[in-house]
Amino acid sequence: MNAESARKFEALEAQARDILATFTGDGYEAVAPAIIQPADIFLDVIGEDLRGRTYVFTDQEGSELCLRPDLTVPTCRLHWERHGRADAQARYCYNGPAFRFQPNGGDATHPREFRQAGIEHFGLAARDKAETEVLSTIVKALGQAQVEEYEIRCGDLGLFNALLDAIDMPERWRGRLKSQFWQPAAFREELQRLVKSPGSSADGLPDALLGQIIPGDAKASERAIETYMHDHGIELIGARTVSEIAANIMNMVEDGTSDALPASVAELISNYLGVSAPARAAGARLRDLMQSAKLDISGALDVYQRRLQRMADAGIDIGKLKFSAEFGRNLEYYTGFVFEVTAPTLGEQSPIAGGGRYDRLMRSVGSTVDVPAMGAMIHTERLLSVVRGEV
Amino acid sequence: MANLIFAIPSKGRLMEATIEILAAGGMEVRKTGSERGYRGEIVGTDNVEIAFISASEIANALRIGRIHLGVTGEDLVREEISDAEGRVKFLKELGFGHADVVVGVPKCWIDVRRMEDLDEVSMAFRRKNQRRMRVATKYTNLTRRHFACHGISDYRIVESLGATEGTPAAGTSELIVDITSSGATLKANGLKMIDGGTMLKSQANLIESKTAPWTPEIRAVQNEILKRLKI
Repeated sequence: MNAESARKFEALEAQARDILATFTGDGYEAVAPAIIQPADIFLDVIGEDLRGRTYVFTDQEGSELCLRPDLTVPTCRLHWERHGRADAQARYCYNGPAFRFQPNGGDATHPREFRQAGIEHFGLAARDKAETEVLSTIVKALGQAQVEEYEIRCGDLGLFNALLDAIDMPERWRGRLKSQFWQPAAFREELQRLVKSPGSSADGLPDALLGQIIPGDAKASERAIETYMHDHGIELIGARTVSEIAANIMNMVEDGTSDALPASVAELISNYLGVSAPARAAGARLRDLMQSAKLDISGALDVYQRRLQRMADAGIDIGKLKFSAEFGRNLEYYTGFVFEVTAPTLGEQSPIAGGGRYDRLMRSVGSTVDVPAMGAMIHTERLLSVVRGEV
Repeated sequence: MANLIFAIPSKGRLMEATIEILAAGGMEVRKTGSERGYRGEIVGTDNVEIAFISASEIANALRIGRIHLGVTGEDLVREEISDAEGRVKFLKELGFGHADVVVGVPKCWIDVRRMEDLDEVSMAFRRKNQRRMRVATKYTNLTRRHFACHGISDYRIVESLGATEGTPAAGTSELIVDITSSGATLKANGLKMIDGGTMLKSQANLIESKTAPWTPEIRAVQNEILKRLKI
């Protein structure tokens, strides 16, 4: 498989040296986070999907550990340990193995053991500046590896959030749709439900209880639930409290009294998610879309435009940049700009590089506040096979 | 010539029922060597080797092709083999070993009546507790697939190899995925089933490994067995 022949090992090493030279040349400090990581932090951050592909094990003392499935979280931990606070500005780069389970041992483009060469850019509040710097460093590294033909697919969660914020709807619907963004099928279903029968979330709740639930009156609602549980011999077990259960049921009842989401709004959201075009054209298309819907998300659109301009000024070939509103839906921890570099020979399923903004991730290593963080990595085995034309 | 290797669960009701079904087809299973041995034969047949191994190990042995045929629960096969259809062939449901793999939540979660309701609850739980709600189960793969299917992502699996249904009350999980035949154990532990929470209605199956070393001779032996079992 990968690097199991001495020649391929040498080629990967030589390639990695060049990439790291580019990274350090751009001001990123080379670090080597531990390969073996505490499992806990990953399991809480990455979600079950990736967790299912992480090699987790228990050591001789009973500690739950894992082979790192990527290097971003380990670099965040390293940063936190070094500074004791997360918002310190720093730039790191690395090259090293990461491990992900693949059915039947994986294949050449999806090996279970692969090397990531990446950069992380922490603490810079000028987000579009950090995003531009990271992308240009990655583009520079690809250029030095003689990769000419590629496309950069990008997305922007800031735009999506701004769109939902601008639409008039109950806050809990907004929260639900934002978190459902990652699950396209569930998202579509929820959107349809909010149009057709928002009250259906209370379906099946006992009538005797429903009559006693008063949205806005938590005390009365909690009492009603306690009485109901007592009358039916139901014990309260587990970590969820009566007040959490009451809050949820109050929301369900309130859903039934709220006006349904207008079909035109659902259509606008769907149309937004359908936007997929070269980056410049996409910006214009989004502006048109919002104008005809009479919605103002000019703040987020300006950010988009400014970032694009900055990238053009930095010498990135904007013609290679393609915006897709849906892009990023399988990458749960990103919070803003995201991108993936794909080569025509490998296709969209096997990007050779990718990255994005993950301002919330530092919380998982101990920070109590969001910290601006932007990172990207190169899948070095894939890069090598593209460079060598081995696909 | 090589033998066909036929795995039978090594103990309990699954073993007894399998031996009965073979006997009904005129195939008497006899242990060879010591009484506690893990090998056996079908009386009067040369080319079949019986292996007594645990039901979950049978699933794994089918996956890697160490045995040709085996009897085990569909739940174990779906759990242990990520691409079950590519690796094994379900030949026949045997009518015993019934067990449903279900989601069990605390009865006091009055606001949760169906799979979809879990989504809202999981998000609120994470906001309040700064961690994901925990699902205790030994069916990690089935659980991941089922939850993904219903768009639920804010949870975390904790592996539980025994007494799973007691973990919510014990405070080591928020909800569970486990097998049940009547729901009585769930009930006794203050849990309930929910709509859409049944992941699999499982029973014992006769299963063929697609990756085992099949030769024309071994195929012929298999055909004879299937004929006697009227499959």
